[in-house]
Amino acid sequence: MNIFRRELKANFRSLLIWGVIIILFSTIGFSKFSAYEGNPEMLAILDSIPPAFLAAFSFNAFNLTTITGFFGVMFTYFSLLVSIAAAMWGSDIIAKEERDKTVEFSLTLPVPREKLVTAKILAAMVNCIGLLLITWGVTLFNATNHQTDSEFYNFLSLSMLSLFIMQMIFLAIGILLGCAMKQHKRASSVAVSIILGTYFLSIIAGLNKDLEFLKYFSPFKYFNPVILLNESRIELLFVWISAGIIAASLVGAYVSYSRRDLYI
Amino acid sequence: MNIFMHEFKMSIRSVITWSIALFCLIFVFMSMFNAFASDAELLNEMMSQFPEELLMAFGMTNIDMATVLGFYSLIFTFIQICIAIQAANYGFSLVSVEERDMTADFLLAKPVGRTKILTMKGLSAITGLTLTNLIVWASSFVFINVYRDGRPYEIKTLLLLLLSIVMFQFVFMTVGLLISLLVRRIRNVTPYSMGLAFGTYVLNAFGGMLGEEKLELITPFKHFDPNYIINNASFDFPMMFISLSFIIVSIIASYVLYTRRNIPSAV
Repeated sequence: MNIFRRELKANFRSLLIWGVIIILFSTIGFSKFSAYEGNPEMLAILDSIPPAFLAAFSFNAFNLTTITGFFGVMFTYFSLLVSIAAAMWGSDIIAKEERDKTVEFSLTLPVPREKLVTAKILAAMVNCIGLLLITWGVTLFNATNHQTDSEFYNFLSLSMLSLFIMQMIFLAIGILLGCAMKQHKRASSVAVSIILGTYFLSIIAGLNKDLEFLKYFSPFKYFNPVILLNESRIELLFVWISAGIIAASLVGAYVSYSRRDLYI
Repeated sequence: MNIFMHEFKMSIRSVITWSIALFCLIFVFMSMFNAFASDAELLNEMMSQFPEELLMAFGMTNIDMATVLGFYSLIFTFIQICIAIQAANYGFSLVSVEERDMTADFLLAKPVGRTKILTMKGLSAITGLTLTNLIVWASSFVFINVYRDGRPYEIKTLLLLLLSIVMFQFVFMTVGLLISLLVRRIRNVTPYSMGLAFGTYVLNAFGGMLGEEKLELITPFKHFDPNYIINNASFDFPMMFISLSFIIVSIIASYVLYTRRNIPSAV
């Protein structure tokens, strides 16, 4: 419990900084939305297009003149930001002990290594949830100035659930890296390359039908805003894949950390 | 000179890793070009029948994946992200790493002025970044010519794109250096550089989608927007001056701050 509280305190500033980034981004986004909402020229054009056509291209999910479509576009960027934060926290929270030469101290405490890792994971999770709540709160707050409907709130809750799963994936991968990388300095740079790699994959997978299979390799593609909005559901297959990644990473993390040869 | 050599040796592995990563990035994406180009031609035909405003409402303007440079501009955005992270990494760690590893008091006790230390370290980082830059130039030229399949492209525009990298690296490095001197201590460089690089990237990508500019003026991704360079075959000079002023202010402020910095010693 002490370790958990200590970690929370140590990471609080970082949570604040990421929170400010999210709040800034969301506020800028919504201020832009004001220019689109109810823009008569665009509405006129949208009205002239047969609805079946819009549905065929799943345009409704990205219709920037409604708040729901607008959030569908923002969703991608929110997911990028919260995932980066989660991966950074995960890879840092274990590796920093060796970097700051405090690992000797924390491992001589009368606490087994598993318990230390558990406390750290929980603290990082609380941080992730905190950032998610900030995202949710600021979105709700900004949305009060605009026309909302029940569809938007459903979509928002589903999106938050998806963001949460993504955070957990990257957090688990980060923790695995922190526990398993022989050189503690590498943990965060490998985390960076995984984020970059999967993000680039997600863009490419969306561009071409033949490359769509790539989406299985990129968590950024697991939760498609189009499906979240139109069918109000999360694809179960991807939930299972996510659960698999998270479980495998955590098991790997515990196993490798309990055998880790520490750099002192 | 000793400082320069030592710094360079320390960073050479990271330079090589980034260069290989960028080489692979350009290779993998350019090799997909042919598959995309034929699809994109169909898509272009379809999209040309839509009214302009519709495309705008869904953020689909300025995309032409059927041309060599249109496709390359997509890759170039990825290259920019990588380069921004690398340059920011070097900037943030340039002097902060000495304080973190408790080696600052050793270094500063040498008979070398702080100005010279900063200059040498800076030059070494610039050398590393330039090596990476050269790899990007070479691999871009090679893979574009291998995979373009006879499609024409404007070599001058490509040169402009590649030229923009130098200043892009400078902005992120110097701003990173300045921030690292403004805060009291940096424990881990990566979250800072990721925050800076992705923060500015998201700001630009999101702003570009909605086509309105206010806060995007501060992001270097906007200053060196590949779409602008390709569509106009020239730099966006007023924007570039914003970046240039960032660089100048950061360099001057960094020298001032570093020569006056209070540095904690190991004991």
